[in-house]
Amino acid sequence: MTVFDELQQAIINGQAALAKELTKKGLDSGKKPRDFFPNAIIPAMDEVGRRMRECEFFIPEVLIAARASRAATDLLRPLLVGDEAVQAAGVVVCGTVKGDLHDIGKNIVAMMLESAGFRIVDLGVDVAPEKIVQAVKDENANVVALSALLTTTMVNMKGSIEALKAAGLRDKVKILVGGAPVTDAWANSIGADGYGKDAPAAVELARRLAATA
Amino acid sequence: MNSRERILAHLEGRPVDTLPAMPITMMFAGDRAGIKYGDYATDYRRLVEAQCRVAEEFDFDYVSVISDPGCEAADCGAAVRFYPDQPPAIDEANALLADKTRLARLAAPDPLGGGRMHNRVRGVELLKQRVGGDKLVEGWIEGPAAEGADLRGINALMVDFYDDPAFVRDLFEFVVEMEGRFARAQVEAGADVIGIGDAAASLVGPGFYEEYVWPYEKRLVDQVHTLGAAVRLHICGDTRRILQGMGQLGCEIVDLDFLAPVAEGRAAMGPQQVLLGNIDPVRVLRNGTPDSVYAAIEECHRQAGPRYIVGAGCEVPRDTPPENVRALVRYAREHAA
Ligand code: B12
Repeated sequence: MTVFDELQQAIINGQAALAKELTKKGLDSGKKPRDFFPNAIIPAMDEVGRRMRECEFFIPEVLIAARASRAATDLLRPLLVGDEAVQAAGVVVCGTVKGDLHDIGKNIVAMMLESAGFRIVDLGVDVAPEKIVQAVKDENANVVALSALLTTTMVNMKGSIEALKAAGLRDKVKILVGGAPVTDAWANSIGADGYGKDAPAAVELARRLAATA
Repeated sequence: MNSRERILAHLEGRPVDTLPAMPITMMFAGDRAGIKYGDYATDYRRLVEAQCRVAEEFDFDYVSVISDPGCEAADCGAAVRFYPDQPPAIDEANALLADKTRLARLAAPDPLGGGRMHNRVRGVELLKQRVGGDKLVEGWIEGPAAEGADLRGINALMVDFYDDPAFVRDLFEFVVEMEGRFARAQVEAGADVIGIGDAAASLVGPGFYEEYVWPYEKRLVDQVHTLGAAVRLHICGDTRRILQGMGQLGCEIVDLDFLAPVAEGRAAMGPQQVLLGNIDPVRVLRNGTPDSVYAAIEECHRQAGPRYIVGAGCEVPRDTPPENVRALVRYAREHAA
């Protein structure tokens, strides 16, 4: 097994300390920081997403895998800063909309996007539209990912989009929405750019949309 | 036969005139009675008023004190935020047990100590006085996983299963002790049935459910039974992987949320288990029509067979058209088991 294969396994198994150690080992042996993503981290999180879809993984497994992935990316990110060949896949401002406190799904989406190479600005839960607008400006984001788990708060996705429009930022960002009650039809009706039914779908969508942003 | 007799007879397997109807109503009930949800959750008189009102208006067979998961956590000292017209919410960012070592020093609150738990106990008492002869009175407590999540923070608890299983056991031990006392107070105040809500149990997968959650749920169910009350188990979410365990707890009623098909519940739990549910609260009950609601309940009944109680998968959403709720009860009234 190569160090990349080992790292991939460590992430899937949720072994954060091991993932950190293997990342160091890979770097010491001369691997380029940017090569860790396509060769270990992204395939690992794709596999985690697959197992989640197949109900082989449940929330605890997904959360510890994401933590292990973060142990690796925390070491790698600072080393990527000067690397001209890599830019973050994009900057994602994410959060659960106003009035809504459900964040497990949003956290998983954020962690998977992070592993896929996006920089994440997580605004947390119960996020007011103004905060989203501000963050898009401050962070120069190109993607906004909104989560809602309540039928009563889904409408606040619309409010958030309206606020981005009013601030003249709508065309600067792609907007993804998700959460259990959200549907494709709803995403269309509020003028979002895409809907993802789960975290792997969020990653596919973000990749596709960010490429065209 | 009146509503209370109907449910009790059904649970014992005696013949009933019609199927019982026991949909969970909280915000829907508050709205119907013109009561702001913040008041509903914190003032038992308002809750009782709203419960009696909807039970009467829609001919439900029971009334319940369920309101939000924060009663016990608040009395333990957790930071809970209150809103005028929304359910109170536990502030997870400042969870009571963010520091696990606090558990050792945490004292279980007295359910009659003047806090939110006491408010609920008073709700049971007043419901019993107001409609207890006619309607079944339901008390409510949280299960180990749900209450553990409320105290520890749900995101943290999910990871604790891997990082610190001993802590998870200690936490559930504490919870079962506290909830057992809370159940006792409600049964003594007149509750016929105790609902146990254990939402977070659907998030952990069958391995952790069987090893960590189930044994504590079982202890709680057994405790309620020694008090002489029946148990209604309510686990929100996708429970398909843990149905078998749920069926082995010995609960009189097992609720199924819409993500777990009734036929799968029946197959996993055998012919005698009373199942309750499980139309999709949003897509069917709220967004449907009286006809589609009626047809969806009919399909649930068909899959469940005679040991069945009419209800939705979870809480009736607050903006559900009343005629859809009427269609649900109409199905019950037009069918014997
Ligand atoms: C855990 C939970 C809670 C916890 C939340 C803790 C937390 N920190 O998140 C607590 C106890 C606080 C809670 C409270 C309430 N809850 Co709640 N809760 C749940 C539960 C059981 C699980 C939700 C969950 O985490 N699922 C697991 C995650 C991984 O799934 P997910 O969020 O859907 O995310 C996935 C996808 O949707 C997608 N996704 C998510 N976000 C995004 C974003 C983007 C951009 C994309 C592309 C994809 C995407 O990817 C994720 C991963 O695959 C559900 C029932 C259920 N099974 O859904 C009810 C549920 C969501 N809750 C419900 C209700 C009613 C409430 C309360 C109002 C209850 C009350 N009366 O007090 C309060 C409201 C509090 C508030 N203001 O928000 C209802 C909502 C009904 C409705 N449609 O309106 C549900 C559906 C239960 C039910 N069956 O009725 N709840």
